[in-house]
Amino acid sequence: MTKKVALWIFLVGTISSSALFLWLTWDTHRQVEFLANVDKLSDDVVAGKRVFEKYNCNDCHTILGFGAYYAPDMTKVVKRIGVDGIRYRVKSPEKAFANSSRKMPQQNLTDDEIEKLIAFFTWVGEIDNNDWPPQDSAKRLTRSEEVMVASAGLSPGAAVYQRRGCMNCHSLQGKGGSVGPALDKVGKRLKQAEIRRYIRDPKAVNAKAIMPAQKDLSNKELDEVARFLANLK
Amino acid sequence: MTYQSQRISHWYFKAALLLFALQVVLGLWLAINYSYTLPQSIVNVFSFATARAIHTNLLVLWMLLGFMGGTYYIVPEETQSEIYSPAIAWFQLIALVVTGVVAIVGFVFGWTQGRPLLEIPRPLDAVVVIGALLFLFNVGMTMFKANRWTVVQGTLLGGLLFLALLYLFGIPFYKNVVIDWYYWWWVIHLWVEGAWELVTGAILAFILIKTTGVDRHVVEKWLYVEIGLFLFTGIVGTGHHYYWIGAPKYWLWFGGIFSALEPLPILLMMIDTIMHVKKRKLEIKNPFTFTLAVGCAVLHMIGAGVLGLLHTLPQINYYTHGSQVTVAHGHLAFYGAYALLNFLVFYYAMPKLKGIEVYNDTKGKIAFWTMSSAMSLMAVTFGIAGVVQSYVERMLGMGYMTAQHYMRLWFEVTLVLGIFFFIGMLFMVYDLFTLKPAKVKK
Ligand code: HEC
Ligand code: HEC
Ligand code: HEM
Ligand code: HEM
Ligand SMILES: [Fe+2]
Repeated sequence: MTKKVALWIFLVGTISSSALFLWLTWDTHRQVEFLANVDKLSDDVVAGKRVFEKYNCNDCHTILGFGAYYAPDMTKVVKRIGVDGIRYRVKSPEKAFANSSRKMPQQNLTDDEIEKLIAFFTWVGEIDNNDWPPQDSAKRLTRSEEVMVASAGLSPGAAVYQRRGCMNCHSLQGKGGSVGPALDKVGKRLKQAEIRRYIRDPKAVNAKAIMPAQKDLSNKELDEVARFLANLK
Repeated sequence: MTYQSQRISHWYFKAALLLFALQVVLGLWLAINYSYTLPQSIVNVFSFATARAIHTNLLVLWMLLGFMGGTYYIVPEETQSEIYSPAIAWFQLIALVVTGVVAIVGFVFGWTQGRPLLEIPRPLDAVVVIGALLFLFNVGMTMFKANRWTVVQGTLLGGLLFLALLYLFGIPFYKNVVIDWYYWWWVIHLWVEGAWELVTGAILAFILIKTTGVDRHVVEKWLYVEIGLFLFTGIVGTGHHYYWIGAPKYWLWFGGIFSALEPLPILLMMIDTIMHVKKRKLEIKNPFTFTLAVGCAVLHMIGAGVLGLLHTLPQINYYTHGSQVTVAHGHLAFYGAYALLNFLVFYYAMPKLKGIEVYNDTKGKIAFWTMSSAMSLMAVTFGIAGVVQSYVERMLGMGYMTAQHYMRLWFEVTLVLGIFFFIGMLFMVYDLFTLKPAKVKK
């Protein structure tokens, strides 16, 4: 190989790749219009993005998987914890994560800023991004449900507990979230029926309850998880 | 050293070394954040987010200073002329360092653009752009005036131009978060897997020509092939960051295939570096230079080529994306490819700038082996944490914090390794500031 051939390798390689890349960039711009629902990209959403940047949330949290890995991903946060869940955590992180081994700073966001953030997260959650992240994917849940059902002979209630996001707030044997109390000995204090009632509508039992009503549990799941917890003593 | 204006590079290197030291301290602090529970009062005042912004911005800043210093060292020798304007070179160094310091103090007080790695606020971006333009003007004018073109010079200038151009895409505010990330990667990916590789190729080629005495034509021929392959695979390879952002599905194919080829030029670079060192014609003066050159080539291959390839296919990246696996790769790739390249430049140029022909390399060797072993093992511990995370959080779906509990042990080990890295770093910084001639063996 001569130096001239080498030069040609360089030129052809660079130019062909650049041309392909620019063409794909043009096409991506075109397709993102509907993949990301640009028609719903309101001023509130944009304002929410600015809030997200102002407080540097992205240097602890990832969004679409980019950023820092110190805290949960924000892509599907609305689906995961709901808008009330977001409000509470962003408004009072010092309370929400008081028992957590990892803290989020209290940055004194205004209520208006928090609403803008929610608009932003809601819009981001609807981007068609090939079903990432896997832990929040509807598909994965159904697949793991099958696995859970297969192993449910042991304890269907444990499966409900794991699958229905209780772990995001509660812990067992030190594993899980810390927004709610650890449930290791909950059966000592509460009977199965009391637990059942609490899960369905915490506010009915305790007007100041922070736990959101778990509305998406079927009655059967509710019975199962209550039986499981009532036996933890 | 034969040209007076090469002296400026010495100050670039010294500034880079101090900023590197600070970067590593911040790295330790990040690992402490992962290993221990810090009280809310500390988190409110100096959060992980702030520390991370400083850690990563210092990284970019000191490496760019190193590249610029390297350029100001190499260009006079390649063009056989003095630098066009030493005054500009001075001004630009001061402007860049001041911008960096202002940015870092600003981060602590919440003045930030809030986008990872590109946190520098927009007004300061303007200063960076002006500095870059002056730098390019200065280097370009030196080359044009001398009019003694070599492939090394061309690649260096091309790489630096490309580098500066890409930075512009990181400056605007994008309303649409998808488009924002699309262009964010033009800066980050096209830098480390494009422009910076060109600069690296040019600098490595220069040092190899000077130290091994291998025929310039052979080295430059390889350089063409390598940069051609870097750009061919790396440009469309940007697509390996577009899998999950809401871009069209074809990126899974284009990104996957092109990026899977990215290790090829790195492999080629490793092979030819080792070959040139083996077939050297000149007598060895400073064997440590070769240790650094080969170390750089090998860890570049492992950190970027191998660890990059492991998670670049969409089927795997679906589970590892944005996990500690990324951190493992990010650290060893940056260290192997660019930190070691900078160290090579420092150990090549700084003795010469001090008029030392053969230097005492005892401390340097200790530093190199300590830092390289610590960083390689850190890639392992971050990597294990990342695999645990991918499995527990993503495959089992057990929630983010649950996975973090299982990973904690590995962060603690990382912290210990980080302390070793820190010690190695101190050895090197001290050594480079106090270089001494080797005792002549009789
Ligand atoms: C210093 C790092 C840090 C910063 C900055 C930060 N957070 Fe957090 N955030 C955390 C950590 C850590 C958690 C998880 C704690 C836990 O679950 O125990 C968290 C949890 C959350 C959650 C709950 C996520 C879930 O799935 O349970 C939301 C929502 C949230 N943060 C929003 C924000 C927003 C909005 C900002 C910017 C205004 C922000 N965070 C800034 C560290 C941070
Ligand atoms: C968004 C966070 C959150 C989620 C999700 C959540 N909880 Fe709770 N839970 C709490 C909090 C906080 C409390 C403490 C009382 C209160 O303020 O409501 C609590 C209290 C409880 C209690 C009463 C404990 C006691 O000692 O009095 C039970 C039982 C319980 N949760 C079960 C569950 C189950 C089962 C699930 C899943 C289906 C679940 N929780 C999901 C936050 C949550
Ligand atoms: C004592 C040594 C070091 C320690 C303990 C350390 C630790 C860390 C930690 C904990 C993070 C945050 C990752 C996250 O967001 O979760 C980080 C980020 C980063 N560090 Fe370091 N670091 C060290 C040295 C270095 C060095 C020497 C380099 C470069 C050569 C480097 C390059 C980076 C990069 C590029 C990132 C961003 C990573 C990404 O986005 O994936 N670090 N570091
Ligand atoms: C010297 C060259 C390289 C450096 C310095 C480097 C550095 C990095 C860094 C810092 C990140 C994390 C960015 C972030 O999200 O904050 C990253 C991500 C990534 N790199 Fe590299 N890289 C290099 C080469 C490569 C190569 C050659 C490949 C593929 C073969 C590769 C594959 C990837 C992939 C797939 C990701 C995305 C990880 C994710 O999904 O989270 N890299 N790289
Ligand atoms: Fe990349």
